[in-house]
Amino acid sequence: MSTGTATARTAPGVTVPKPSLLARALPAFSGTVGLVLKVVLLAVSNAIGLWGLVGLLNNGNTVAGLCVLAATLAIDAVYLLPIRGLVPVKFLVPGTVFLIGFQLIPIVYNASVAFSNWSTGHNLTKEEAIQTIQETSLAQPPNGAFYTMTPAREDGTLALLLVDQATGKTFVGTEEGLTPLPSADVTVANGAITEAAGYEVLTGQGLAGIDQELAGLVVPAGGNSFVRAEGLSTALELTPTLRYDPEADTFTNIENGAVFSDNGKGAYATAGGEEIEQGWRTNIGLQNFKEIFTNPLIRDPFLSTFAWTFSYALLSVLFTFFAGLFIAIALNHDGLRFQRVQRSILILPYAIPAFLSLLVWRGLLNDDFGVVNSILPFDVPWLFDPFWARVSCLLVNFWLGIPYMFLICTGALQAIPGEMTEAARVDGASGLQVFRKITLPLLLVAVAPLLIASFAFNFNNFNAIYFLTEGGPYSAEQSVAGSTDILVSYTYKVAFQTGRGGDYGLAAALSIVIFLIIGTISAVTFIRTKALENVA
Amino acid sequence: MLSTTTAARALVALVVASLAAIALTATASGADATTTIRIWTDKDRLAAVTKVANAWAASKGATIEVVQKDFGQIRDNLKTVQSETAPDVIVGAHDWIGELSANGSIVPLFPSAATQKQFPGYALDAFSYGTAIKKLYGAPVALENIALVTNTNLAKVPTTWAQLQRSALATKKKTKAAVGISVQQGSGGDAYHMYPLFAGLGGYIFGKNSAGNLDPSNIGVANPKFLKNPALIDQWNKLGLIRSSVDSSISQDLFLKGKTAFWFTGPWNLDTLKKSGLSFRISGFPQIVAGTKAVPFLGVQGFMVTKFAATHNVESLAKDLVSNYMMQTGPQLELALANTRYPANLNAGKQVKDAQLKAFGLASTGGVPMPNIPQMNSVWGDLGAAWVRSTKGSGSVPARRSFLGASRSIAQKIG
Repeated sequence: MSTGTATARTAPGVTVPKPSLLARALPAFSGTVGLVLKVVLLAVSNAIGLWGLVGLLNNGNTVAGLCVLAATLAIDAVYLLPIRGLVPVKFLVPGTVFLIGFQLIPIVYNASVAFSNWSTGHNLTKEEAIQTIQETSLAQPPNGAFYTMTPAREDGTLALLLVDQATGKTFVGTEEGLTPLPSADVTVANGAITEAAGYEVLTGQGLAGIDQELAGLVVPAGGNSFVRAEGLSTALELTPTLRYDPEADTFTNIENGAVFSDNGKGAYATAGGEEIEQGWRTNIGLQNFKEIFTNPLIRDPFLSTFAWTFSYALLSVLFTFFAGLFIAIALNHDGLRFQRVQRSILILPYAIPAFLSLLVWRGLLNDDFGVVNSILPFDVPWLFDPFWARVSCLLVNFWLGIPYMFLICTGALQAIPGEMTEAARVDGASGLQVFRKITLPLLLVAVAPLLIASFAFNFNNFNAIYFLTEGGPYSAEQSVAGSTDILVSYTYKVAFQTGRGGDYGLAAALSIVIFLIIGTISAVTFIRTKALENVA
Repeated sequence: MLSTTTAARALVALVVASLAAIALTATASGADATTTIRIWTDKDRLAAVTKVANAWAASKGATIEVVQKDFGQIRDNLKTVQSETAPDVIVGAHDWIGELSANGSIVPLFPSAATQKQFPGYALDAFSYGTAIKKLYGAPVALENIALVTNTNLAKVPTTWAQLQRSALATKKKTKAAVGISVQQGSGGDAYHMYPLFAGLGGYIFGKNSAGNLDPSNIGVANPKFLKNPALIDQWNKLGLIRSSVDSSISQDLFLKGKTAFWFTGPWNLDTLKKSGLSFRISGFPQIVAGTKAVPFLGVQGFMVTKFAATHNVESLAKDLVSNYMMQTGPQLELALANTRYPANLNAGKQVKDAQLKAFGLASTGGVPMPNIPQMNSVWGDLGAAWVRSTKGSGSVPARRSFLGASRSIAQKIG
């Protein structure tokens, strides 16, 4: 309005609208500044691409590396080649990159985890697992020797100068074997050899570079046994208890002959089912999904938890929406005193970090020591009774959610043209009729997508449950899920507090099931909100 | 005209890009130029670890890079970390090692017999794990356990459970507190702090098999001995001796304000206790039923060598630091006291001057190391929940039913 009058004064009759900020800012970027900016951004993109390529090739991910290379070159081409057809692509590329980076890759990765057995004991590659099993199968033989060790070089070859800690006898250990060293040829101080004829003793800086060589030096000591360095100043005799046969891909227990072979589920196991604990990550198909629907421990609490999750999310959205809308309408009256102050106070809970509010509420609602019960004339078991704990979760979530709904309703209400409600009133509609027939439908068109988003958010509102009740209380009969656990906190418990814990595969499978549920609900609701728009 | 500007633009872009890329890759690979041991530690120990490790590194031609992490994050991040940024040595708790060993994340250590002799058997045992052969997976550094803290203005240090109960209830009546003993639970339960009561009533978590390893199929949460005593829990609940609504901050608050005479807590609250100005004594827990000791869980913290040390070609160096140097008296004292904990090394323990810290050490006598097998993940929640639902005042589930339920659920979860 004010700009209009200003322009009118300079050129009567012709109103030239002032261009928007963006429109005025754009030309500033189209000359040299724009070119420099473009080159810098492209350079950054190329640098990241090249850096990723080197990293991926180093890790042996050739296919991924080539994809990164192709994408980087494609981005360069889009912004540098003077082809008219590429102009729209220039606008699409940044969004697409972020969509792939932050949406598609995590989803694909999550799905790939869901089909794997990634969990405690299945965290390595198969090669690493074989190595780890060989390493952990080494044992000190009964009365095995333990040496004080001094690394040394003999004509450049690494040798271990050893003093047996039990007998004080001196040896030299090389790849060929263990040879006694005559005590006349060595100087021993504090139990360790400090000098030996024909050997160059390594100390200080000389030790730092030999690590790989030292760890790899295996000194045969008769039978299966060998002597190996343990750190920089000791060595000991070790005997393997399992023998790996690379041809047959089996481990054999040297003592009792039991054979462990690849069981196809990422572990070596005997025919009797005895497993070696260190296994590897592998694809197990639909096993995790089958587990969800057939293992009674997981399946039984799923349905009741789902029912509670659904009602929790639905009630949270409905109540916060109507309460927020009511307050928004009440505060939308023109001429209300201190309107801004009142609005500011009402959105305060939204400004406090939710986890803080939740912890404060947890204290306030404490059954024996909370303020709420000390104010009320009677005691309510807010957190330790299954029914009341659910009521508490809902009440606290209302408190947290109303400011948000109040904000969006205020915004949407102000966007509804006053002429429409005025016209309705002129036509003789009552206040309630205006609200039901005009305001609410128009409001819903704007707000419905946000309500669906809010439902999805509350469906997965882990913090609101975990900081308040931790999912409890639990009944004595069922304790994988507590009475206030929602699907996502139940998933956490199934995956990390069941069995040996750390079951990422199962967690990913459950999260996909949850995603399908929310996806279906949201899609159906979105389709139905289309109907709202038609009415409007 | 157009094509020449475009060509110029492309050229400039590519030159700048290559330079930037070279700079980036150079910084990324530059870190491996020297022999560096990377250590992950928590905030409390950061200064002590830096000092001790650097004192060692000076004579070995190695450099130390200390990275600060939240204590619990150390275990979780180790599962997903990329080799380039992975640690060679970590600080951690003994009850992580079952999981870390099953994942192949840490390597066995073989300290000399002379070194091992300087440690109490249970500290080494706590750090030993293996389904077939037990191996040492860490150098124990600090011991921690909860003890009974008595406000000596309100009660005498009890020698019997009857005395404790009488004093606790007398204080409760006088101060009109809702509970007699400050022992924390909260909504999620706290099996760790409740353990002295659980053990005192005859409960245990896992039995041992003939090889001396913890057996996840032998669950003692509702063993016959324990099942003789759950009526006592119901009685405590009725009397208001313990309450599940008492969480960590409430238990501390009640004790420090003189509302309760007894507090079950550990050395992490020693500074708070000293600053409070209360007169207090630290002691072991009195026996609850004849023939069964009420002992706390023992926690041992220490250092471990990760599988990445070998990848980074510093395995021998890392093992020397952990299983040789850090197990010696001097570093032990430094590392343990930095965190107000009792050192694991016996010689270092003798040098502890703080009488209260010593008292915590004494209260650990006969204690049970927290089980270090990964199946323990299935136990914490259920055992805590059993206490919560049996000690919530009115509407509590009878303890017998509650603990039987927990036992059944744990067995199902372990499978």
